[in-house]
Amino acid sequence: MKNRTPLAQSYLDRFETAVSTLPGHESRSVQALRRQGLDTFAALDFPHKRIEEWRYTNLSALTKATANEDIPSSDLDVIQTAALDAPFEMVFINGHFSSDESRLKELPEGITLGSIASSLGNGAVFSLSSEEDRALFALNTAFMEDGFSLHVDDHVQSETILKITFRNESGDQNGRHIRNVINLGIGSKLTLVEEHTGTGSYFSNPVTSISLSEGAALNHYKLQNESHYAYHLSLTDCENAKGSIYQNFTFSLGARISRNEIKTTILGSEAESHLNGAYLMRGKQHCDTTTLTEHKVPQNISSQVYKGVLDDDAHGVFQGKIHIFRDAQQVVGDQLSKALLLSDRAGVDCKPELEIHADDVKCSHGATSGELDEDALFYLQSRGIPEDRARKLLIEAFLADVMESIGDTPVKDYFNAIAASWLTEA
Amino acid sequence: MLEIKDLRATVGGKEILKGINLTIKPGEIHAVMGPNGAGKSTLSYVLSGRAGYEVTGGSVLYKGVDLLDMSPDERACRGLFLAFQYPVEIPGVASATFLKTAFNAQRKFRGEEELDAMQFLKLVRKKTTELGIKDDMLKRAVNVGFSGGEKKRNEVLQMALFEPDLMLLDETDSGLDIDALKVAADGVNRLRSPERSALIITHYQRLLDYIVPDFVHVLADGKIVKSGDKSLALELEEKGYAEISAA
Repeated sequence: MKNRTPLAQSYLDRFETAVSTLPGHESRSVQALRRQGLDTFAALDFPHKRIEEWRYTNLSALTKATANEDIPSSDLDVIQTAALDAPFEMVFINGHFSSDESRLKELPEGITLGSIASSLGNGAVFSLSSEEDRALFALNTAFMEDGFSLHVDDHVQSETILKITFRNESGDQNGRHIRNVINLGIGSKLTLVEEHTGTGSYFSNPVTSISLSEGAALNHYKLQNESHYAYHLSLTDCENAKGSIYQNFTFSLGARISRNEIKTTILGSEAESHLNGAYLMRGKQHCDTTTLTEHKVPQNISSQVYKGVLDDDAHGVFQGKIHIFRDAQQVVGDQLSKALLLSDRAGVDCKPELEIHADDVKCSHGATSGELDEDALFYLQSRGIPEDRARKLLIEAFLADVMESIGDTPVKDYFNAIAASWLTEA
Repeated sequence: MLEIKDLRATVGGKEILKGINLTIKPGEIHAVMGPNGAGKSTLSYVLSGRAGYEVTGGSVLYKGVDLLDMSPDERACRGLFLAFQYPVEIPGVASATFLKTAFNAQRKFRGEEELDAMQFLKLVRKKTTELGIKDDMLKRAVNVGFSGGEKKRNEVLQMALFEPDLMLLDETDSGLDIDALKVAADGVNRLRSPERSALIITHYQRLLDYIVPDFVHVLADGKIVKSGDKSLALELEEKGYAEISAA
């Protein structure tokens, strides 16, 4: 008899009810997929610190029996600021698509956006899969309820910004197992902004699968601004075909414990994968960024740049792996992780990892953590700038180059405004 | 303007200033000269309020008010300006943003209206033209990639912008060629007025050819051991510190 975590056991206990009520319950293939997910999850349980990839992130606060019992009555801490002006927005409330809240009329031609709940209702599982290795992926497969399904036709190049908002609040024990699927056709282009926000205590477990066809380009932004009592454990997988470009920028401010795990697999030459991000954490927040970039074929480029600002007892984790397969010659891979520690108690764990089986490649990695430059602080103060303003200037300066990597100006302005509000609250 | 009485200070537990007495009246330029390790830079940092320099005794009155009680930014807002020996590089902060932020912080402190970006740019252009400084450095990050001379010019530009009442120059001549030295001296001389004072801290007499002081003091082992007029600087140059300090 296996000693399961209480939360895992409760998912197992709930499964039979779930499989007969969740979207697609009438479809045998959906049921089969869910069972497959459940079996995998049952064998794995939640990730724990004895698993190498989870050494630095402890989920016991989530998985213990008393989890979610200390739900605060009032919401607080979520940074509120000017909204992003996006012409189209799809809204999910507590994990369910809300047509009333969404603005999706007259989407540009060639862009198809639907809800996963309706796909599941139709028994359409061809674009969904389970996973053998990752427990959270499997759990999502077993309990997925909704999410978005996005398809962009070949050669459709949209200049508009599509925003997907997930608003959560504390409530039932099921968690929010959002499943998203993105397919970009040949030579197509899109800018997508995901925003996760909420109040109270809840467990969000979104899984996003992206497939970029030849020459497709996706600018994918994610704002993780969950409630400070929430758990946000997300998985994003992207497959890059020849000449495609994936640019991901993840901006994390929320959640008690969060993990952004991104896996990109480069399957074509002249493809690019750029994973960038910033995280601003305080209190007892914990933010884990884990990336895996696989170069399977020659002649392509990848980069990862992450910058974190950690105050109070906050903790950051960066694990970045670049895996270059034997035939993947002439690959360029660069990685950089920098953390700024604003308190003696804040800390960061960094694990850069290069696994290179080809001999003609260019790879670099670097990880640093440090405090604010006291010399610079004094220099600014000696010119009349008050200390708090001087600190703010220096933190903004620390973040400046990674924020500058945001290619879409409205998104850059939006994220910078949020960063400024975060700094003002300090 | 400035009244230093029996000032004692330690750095990392070690006493560096061992009882400094110095009075600077409005309009006066004083030079403090001394060998390496005499406490010259410590004096400038104590006066400007840098953390890590602990005052263990004595007092400093600035315009009749206790200077040591003020934060570094308040000192600056009240008209004290330290020209750094080694101006600090600050990646990611644009010079123009830095100058405007500092300038407006000082105006705000004094209850004056802040300048907008256009008004400020106009003012900076005027100052750079007067001083013969290229304004392309405004677009770059503060002091990043600047040559030694450019960094000192940047200090002079700031001094011209802020129009301080008391200028502290910490080894401004170190690492400067003669042209840069002249720009720096010109910056100070332009600001010379009956209401403004300066304290020039230097190892060499060279800068004093261009900024002629009213008084010269010799600092040795944390104390002022000799004071005189500008001729003392020449005497020092000739005889060296050892002889003067021993005298």
